[in-house]
Amino acid sequence: MARKHREIGKAGWGYTAVASVVGLIYFFPVLWIILTAFKTRTDALAVPPKLFFTPTFENFTSVFYRASITTGSSQATDMGLYFFNSIFIAFTSVGLALIVGTIAAYAFSRYPLKGNDTYLFIILTTRMMPPIVVIIPIFLMFRLSGLAGSYWGIILLYTAFNIPFSVWLVKSFFDELNPEIEDAARMDGATERRVFFNFCIPQVLAGLSATFVFGLILTWNEFLFALLLTGVETRTVPVAMARTLGGEVGVDYGLLAAIVTLFLIPIFFVTFLLQNQLLRGVTFGTVKK
Amino acid sequence: MSELKVNNLRRTYGKVLALDGMSFDVADGEFFCLLGPSSSGKTTTLRAISGLEELEHGSVHFAGRDVTESAVQGRGISMIFQTFALYPHLSVEANLAHPLRRSGESASDIKKRVGEVAELLRVTHTLKRKPTTLSGGEQQRVAIGRAIVGRPKLLLLDEPLTNLDAKLRDEMRTEFKRLHRELGMTMLYATPDQIEALTMGDRVGVIREGKVVAIGTPRDLYGAPTNTYVAGMIGSPPINFVTATAPSDGEIALPFLDQPVEAPGVSSGQPLVVGLRPHDIALANGEEGGIPAKIHLTEPLGDVTIIDIRTRDTDMKMVLREEVAARFRVGDEIAVKFDPRNLHFFDPSTGARAAHAAT
Repeated sequence: MARKHREIGKAGWGYTAVASVVGLIYFFPVLWIILTAFKTRTDALAVPPKLFFTPTFENFTSVFYRASITTGSSQATDMGLYFFNSIFIAFTSVGLALIVGTIAAYAFSRYPLKGNDTYLFIILTTRMMPPIVVIIPIFLMFRLSGLAGSYWGIILLYTAFNIPFSVWLVKSFFDELNPEIEDAARMDGATERRVFFNFCIPQVLAGLSATFVFGLILTWNEFLFALLLTGVETRTVPVAMARTLGGEVGVDYGLLAAIVTLFLIPIFFVTFLLQNQLLRGVTFGTVKK
Repeated sequence: MSELKVNNLRRTYGKVLALDGMSFDVADGEFFCLLGPSSSGKTTTLRAISGLEELEHGSVHFAGRDVTESAVQGRGISMIFQTFALYPHLSVEANLAHPLRRSGESASDIKKRVGEVAELLRVTHTLKRKPTTLSGGEQQRVAIGRAIVGRPKLLLLDEPLTNLDAKLRDEMRTEFKRLHRELGMTMLYATPDQIEALTMGDRVGVIREGKVVAIGTPRDLYGAPTNTYVAGMIGSPPINFVTATAPSDGEIALPFLDQPVEAPGVSSGQPLVVGLRPHDIALANGEEGGIPAKIHLTEPLGDVTIIDIRTRDTDMKMVLREEVAARFRVGDEIAVKFDPRNLHFFDPSTGARAAHAAT
């Protein structure tokens, strides 16, 4: 019997089927939320759950416009602002942390201090305890300094929380580089500034992308600090989402699912945009040329 | 004038002494090789000359100017690194053009110069590609191109052939010699490989533990090694060493000979280390005075065969032409001879050359 030829390096149908099932199990909760977002209130609560239904955009509309019970006219909600807040706060703080972290990581990697590892360890200690431990002092500090409720307050806090992670991750990317390339650039007449910007940074772009995406996901979903330290004007989506829970008419699952679905889009978009860089970043240093 | 004077360099890393009084001079237009095993200070020396490495002590003079404290940039020195160190994010063309960026030349002049160098090194077809897509040999040639494009007065080469396979290494050796002849620049070449040093160097500096132990032409270093280290380092297969004593003035008793041999300049009772090159041992075809020996290993190299022989209790290596060696098997008894004038004598305590039979 002749063996069937299969393209080398490509899995057969068996493996693909197993992978698909595993993938579906992982993706199912997300899929269910997305489906719920398109259901009417009755369909969303139906028992047994409905897999097939007539989709509606009602929930998405009510994310941004709420029909007033008394007047019957629709009224804009603040959700648009909260989405802007989430995007603005997350991107700014992760971006700032990446800039500070990259410069610090380069210094740690190329100009080690005496006791370099101790400093790196100290930087990491801020991430070693659960955030709840420090929430009261931070809350008091923010109240006293007037940072509470302001954009800069929450941005600074998130930046501070993202820096240790950025320093560690980016340092590992710098450590992987061949230092002779930088020496070659110096001998070719490049100044230290040019060595950093024109030779080191381009080589770690993949790593920077990976660091950015990881930081973004963490910050994007942060709830505790956002709940306590943002005000009416600076509230982020996770906090706003929580506020839709409860109330006199019970949980509006359709509305909640619609917010979550919209909330997923920016992060999906960034991740897909940086996908290739991200894969290279995550596998950086594990595969030698 | 691009004469390089390296004087008494000293550098430590923690407790490790990397350079310990490294001194040598390189003449204008010379091809000078630094030969030494790994971590003997070759790379540190080159980096110190280029200015990449700070020194605790010592000075570097180049083209009549003290450059010890000068910045890396603008010394008029360029370097080829062991890892080639091409800029992975730039095309070959941009790699080659980079050293010219600050020269103030116009874009068209730079393009022309890059074209010339690419032509010289036969990498014109790769100009638009990224370095990682090139073969090892092509990467090496681009690295050479980048180092010479700015017309440096001194070219430093840090084990540039270590990362290439054997066949390419042979080709590139010829290439370096050709470039040296065509460009006429001073070249300082660091290598752990004696064949590279001997074939390419006008002069070779043998280094050990951060200092130069011998400097000379390849012929001098091979023919009259100044100490046991140099004698052992240069020559392939390596020189045979035996310990011996002088029974009387001008004579030496070798452990595998009944009769002492002539050794002018040797005084009675002096203990010596005697060196005898494998190439200086010959077959004694039934002649008188042949030393009986037994073959216990053969290593055919194609054109010649290295034969390990044992004569009395002394193991030695000798080299025979392949067609001669083919007549023998392991275990065969043969007779060998050597000319006592080819013996090298060294002091056993210092390793320094004691006397030479031929002088």
